[in-house]
Amino acid sequence: MRDYWLSKLFFDMQTPANAAEYAADREKVLSRYPIKPDVLKSLKADDVAALAPKVNPYLLRFYFFATGKSETWFLEHIRALAPNKEASHG
Amino acid sequence: MAKLVGAFAASHGPLIARNWEGIGPERLASVTKTFAELGRRFKECRADVLIMVSPDHWVNFFINNLPAVCIGVGESHGGSPEAWLKLPFNEFPGHPGLASHLAETALKNDFDPSLSHHIQLDHGFLIPLWKMGVESLPPIVPIIVNIIEPPLPSFKRCFAWGELIRRAIESYPEDIRVAILATGGLSHSIGEPDMGRLDEAYDLECFEHFKSSDVPTLMNFLDSRTEAAGNGAAEVRNWVIAHSTANCKGFDVIGYHPYKEWYIGCGFASWAVPS
Repeated sequence: MRDYWLSKLFFDMQTPANAAEYAADREKVLSRYPIKPDVLKSLKADDVAALAPKVNPYLLRFYFFATGKSETWFLEHIRALAPNKEASHG
Repeated sequence: MAKLVGAFAASHGPLIARNWEGIGPERLASVTKTFAELGRRFKECRADVLIMVSPDHWVNFFINNLPAVCIGVGESHGGSPEAWLKLPFNEFPGHPGLASHLAETALKNDFDPSLSHHIQLDHGFLIPLWKMGVESLPPIVPIIVNIIEPPLPSFKRCFAWGELIRRAIESYPEDIRVAILATGGLSHSIGEPDMGRLDEAYDLECFEHFKSSDVPTLMNFLDSRTEAAGNGAAEVRNWVIAHSTANCKGFDVIGYHPYKEWYIGCGFASWAVPS
């Protein structure tokens, strides 16, 4: 099941101005999204395993790209989920 | 009456733009040759209008509004808002006449597309157009198929869409030449645990099935094998649309470039359309 507000945040990161604002003041941006506390905790921890089932894979990858994580970092974290691939389909 | 004069398919991975030279000179020369041949065949068909079938990569749609199929019926369409894609295109003429006829034909035949009067053409549309080297593009009728967020249209339904597009072209009263270009695929996985994995066996088997006119076998193969070839392989649905638009005849692989640096089993093809 997709998490709507988490997905919306990731979707909005595609706009460079939004990504820049997020980089400058993450708390201010997050205050505009009613993201559930447990999801917010996963987000702040960059917990790919917890976030993956809640958003579309393309948005998941883009979010970490937009927030400055390297492709190597993302690949390492997403590939670590290989045994749980079915769950990532949501 | 209008007539179909060309049918083509091409991969569109973002890394074709972002990492164009990252594949080394030999493979770069090879894929450049493929794009050039695709462009040559497209120019040769002298299309007055180009129907393009591509997925949306979270540019036009989001999960608050996610149509299975959307037809661009506007007078013009926008270039890509994707900040990483720097292309010289900003605005593209549409063809409201053919696009509206296609939409009406669809609705009369119990298909229910969404309509847009201004589609943003993302990298799925633009990378093939850019790399094909076509200097002067005809008006475009963009069709977006939801191939990014399940549930997706079935292969069977996509095949039916292709047949419908062919009927719509053939019943359009204006004497124009129409081509179709489907983009996406073949095997690839994005944002999933097997990201970067290619499935060359799947890609090559796709080609064999498209070469055959055995539609039930093609459908069975795609239904049973596509999910395992990565979430991006779902874009082969667009190839199915072009295949049925071209009446399943004369499939010809122009080039196949399974480059891990681009994360995609890149395929390029055309169908023989009677002149």
